[in-house]
Amino acid sequence: MRELRKTRFSMVFQHFGLLPHRNVIDNIAYSLEINGVKKAERHARANEVIELVGLQGFSNAYPEQLSGGMQQRVGLARALAVDPQVLFLDEPFSALDPLIRRDMQQEVIRLHHELGKTMVFITHDLSEAVKVGDRIAIMRDGAIVQIGTPEDLVAHPADEYVANFVRDIAKSHVLTLRYLARAPKAGEATDGPELSADMIIRDACSLIIADHRPIRVSDNGKALGVVSSDDVLRIISGVA
Amino acid sequence: MQVRKPYLLLGSVALWILMGRLLQGKNTLQIATYENTPFTSFVGDRALELRGNRTESPAFIYIFNPIRGAIDGFVQLIRNLIAVPAPNSVIPIIGWLGVVGLIAFAVFATSQWRTALLSTSLLLACGALGMWQYTMDSIAMTLAAVLLSLAVGIPLGIWAGLSDRVLKILTPLLDLAQILPTLVYMAPIALIFMIGAASATIATMIYSIPICIRITSHAIRTLNQSPIEASESMGSTQKQTLTKVQIPMAKQMIVLGINQTVMAAVSFVVVAALIGAPGLGKPVIEALIIRNVGQGFVAGFAVVFLAILMDRSTSAAAKRQTSFIPPTAREIKRKRIILIGTGLLAAASVFISRTVLWAAIWPREIDISPQVARLANNATAWILDNLYIFTVGFKDLISYSILNPLEVQLSASPWYVTVAMIVALALIIGGLRTAILALVLAMAIVVSGLWYEAMLTLTQTIVGCFLTMIIGIALGIWTGRSDKAERVLRPFLDAGQTLPAFVYLVPMLGLFGPTRFTAIATGIVYAIPVVVKLVCEGIRAVPHSLIEAATAAGSSTRQIITKVQLPAAKKTILLATNQGLIYVLAVVVIGGFVGAGGLGYLVIVGNSKPELQGKGLIAGAAILLLGVIFDRIMQAGARRSA
Repeated sequence: MRELRKTRFSMVFQHFGLLPHRNVIDNIAYSLEINGVKKAERHARANEVIELVGLQGFSNAYPEQLSGGMQQRVGLARALAVDPQVLFLDEPFSALDPLIRRDMQQEVIRLHHELGKTMVFITHDLSEAVKVGDRIAIMRDGAIVQIGTPEDLVAHPADEYVANFVRDIAKSHVLTLRYLARAPKAGEATDGPELSADMIIRDACSLIIADHRPIRVSDNGKALGVVSSDDVLRIISGVA
Repeated sequence: MQVRKPYLLLGSVALWILMGRLLQGKNTLQIATYENTPFTSFVGDRALELRGNRTESPAFIYIFNPIRGAIDGFVQLIRNLIAVPAPNSVIPIIGWLGVVGLIAFAVFATSQWRTALLSTSLLLACGALGMWQYTMDSIAMTLAAVLLSLAVGIPLGIWAGLSDRVLKILTPLLDLAQILPTLVYMAPIALIFMIGAASATIATMIYSIPICIRITSHAIRTLNQSPIEASESMGSTQKQTLTKVQIPMAKQMIVLGINQTVMAAVSFVVVAALIGAPGLGKPVIEALIIRNVGQGFVAGFAVVFLAILMDRSTSAAAKRQTSFIPPTAREIKRKRIILIGTGLLAAASVFISRTVLWAAIWPREIDISPQVARLANNATAWILDNLYIFTVGFKDLISYSILNPLEVQLSASPWYVTVAMIVALALIIGGLRTAILALVLAMAIVVSGLWYEAMLTLTQTIVGCFLTMIIGIALGIWTGRSDKAERVLRPFLDAGQTLPAFVYLVPMLGLFGPTRFTAIATGIVYAIPVVVKLVCEGIRAVPHSLIEAATAAGSSTRQIITKVQLPAAKKTILLATNQGLIYVLAVVVIGGFVGAGGLGYLVIVGNSKPELQGKGLIAGAAILLLGVIFDRIMQAGARRSA
């Protein structure tokens, strides 16, 4: 287990867990230090991750001199320093205020794209999960209730619990046009603009507003049906 | 139908008084001070045998004697450094000027120049009182005991901080070491390690190590857990987490513990003069024995100065630093230049103190002790002449109203009547198990042959505790209800707790003469701070909502105190009474040799007269038994009332 912890995976904590008596660079290098990496080498590696998380110029600062968001960047950098295969983030942003939280979520998404590491992100906030997660597992009483993409969960909740859980999520922010596509009604115009079925409903809104005709939804050239502005309004207002 | 406890208690007390009166003077077990019972002479013989074994028994040759040798050597090393002439020399390695320079430098380096100035003045004042060498001896003894305490206490404390099992094993031992009256363990230690610096150091360590262990383990236990968890998540070994995370984070609080350890050691080193500790305790004891209040004041002042010096110079280093940020490079450079400068000054003073005689040995001409002694004697005389009503009046009031009747009741009643009373008390308050324990312990005192003396000591302790509680609860309520009162009293309470109890004997001796009342008054002064602090805490812990509700219901202040705050704080007040009793007992027995008699006197006589050594040792044990009986009864009472 200890070997695994040293090299294969690392964790980011809700309350950061930084060492108050060490500056940023030595905090980040700590995980290398306990692996017996030499000082010059571990500082070089620490400097790399410092740049990665955007902490340039802060390497000699002490945790108490940093804001919560900055401290969590240190936490991220520390977790990345050992180049783990899996990164566990245990409610990493729950202690941060909403604005900084949004920045940090973007940061995690960016790092995820740049590094391509597997990240397990634990949160109580479903909108955060929807935002950062590719696949979401909803757990209840220690067991997984449902695993799927955000769209799966919202569109087809496995049970009452999940349905309750996702009720407050704005469907238009999660679902794609595929979910709304239906056969055109009699007398409805079928010459509207064509959009991909994978487009999020919200992103289609501006086009739908600009054009009075229902839009045509297609999946790789295959027509799935149409979506009218009424359909969109209904989904946004939650009536549907 | 069940009879209510208070009536049961009152009934048994009435019966006890009645029986005591009827059978007064019978079976009191009184024996003369210089008389041995078969049991005491048996113990005395064993003690003599033990002494004889010092050069023969393997336990001594391989364990005790080497320990004594090592500690004696260590103390002697430090004493040679600052206090007594070094081998092949007529002066200590560092003369007085060098010591002043070094201490000033050390305090300046860890604190501010103001504290350094204060420390210097206090040191010089000790010298001016003609107490230079005694002061240096006390510092050397303190230093030796503290260094050894830290060397043992910090690792143990860390261990107890990490392991629940170790803490569980250590806690009762630490409790015992802290409440054990000083006099109880001094004599046995002296028996094994002989009278001298080694015994004094070990006795001091027993007193100061618990504080060090407790604070260190507390520091480890109360750390923010998330960095530790993070460190473990990265695969640190236990050792790595300890040395790289836990100890660095706990360092500040551990340093805080050093200050407390030093203060405990300082106050004990003075009392340890009874078993041969060199230092300021000696002149205090001498003055007390020859009843020379003026000389006692001179030495007492030096003790107080030394205590302030030690506190100020170590508390600055222990000041709770809230930040881990080190100073900037520029600040470091500036500080370094200043330190090099002052360091050179200190080095120069050491050099001078090694080359010039006036700087090596405190000049005889600078000695204001006769003037101070005269002043103190005059002041005492003035108080005795003019405030006669307050001193003698108070003494007589207490003596005739409670002290004498109680002493007659306890010491002149047949032993079985009082034993029955104690057991009844234990049964009503604590239940069957407590009663059985009380019976066994009380019978042990009876069998020891020192029942009569134990009753004298018990009388003084009860009266002292009674007065302590009256004053302590009043002050405790006051400080518990008013922040302002707490701010005003706090420094006095803190000072009262750090000063060695011994020095209080001096002014009390001046006021009340060589009587049991001096011992009682000293005990009261010593016990009041802890009682006030506990009661204050208890009052403050009463939920605010309770008081608001009572106020809303229209209660007067008196009603709030008597009907809400005191009942709600009942448990704390019972515990405070318990502490008060233990504290008073510990000091009352020390008062034994200013005329209070009782068990304490026997301990001290036993220390100096070989033929009474057995009696002294048993008297020490009897003090302990007495303490345990009442501690158990009160603890049980507090538990039941919860």
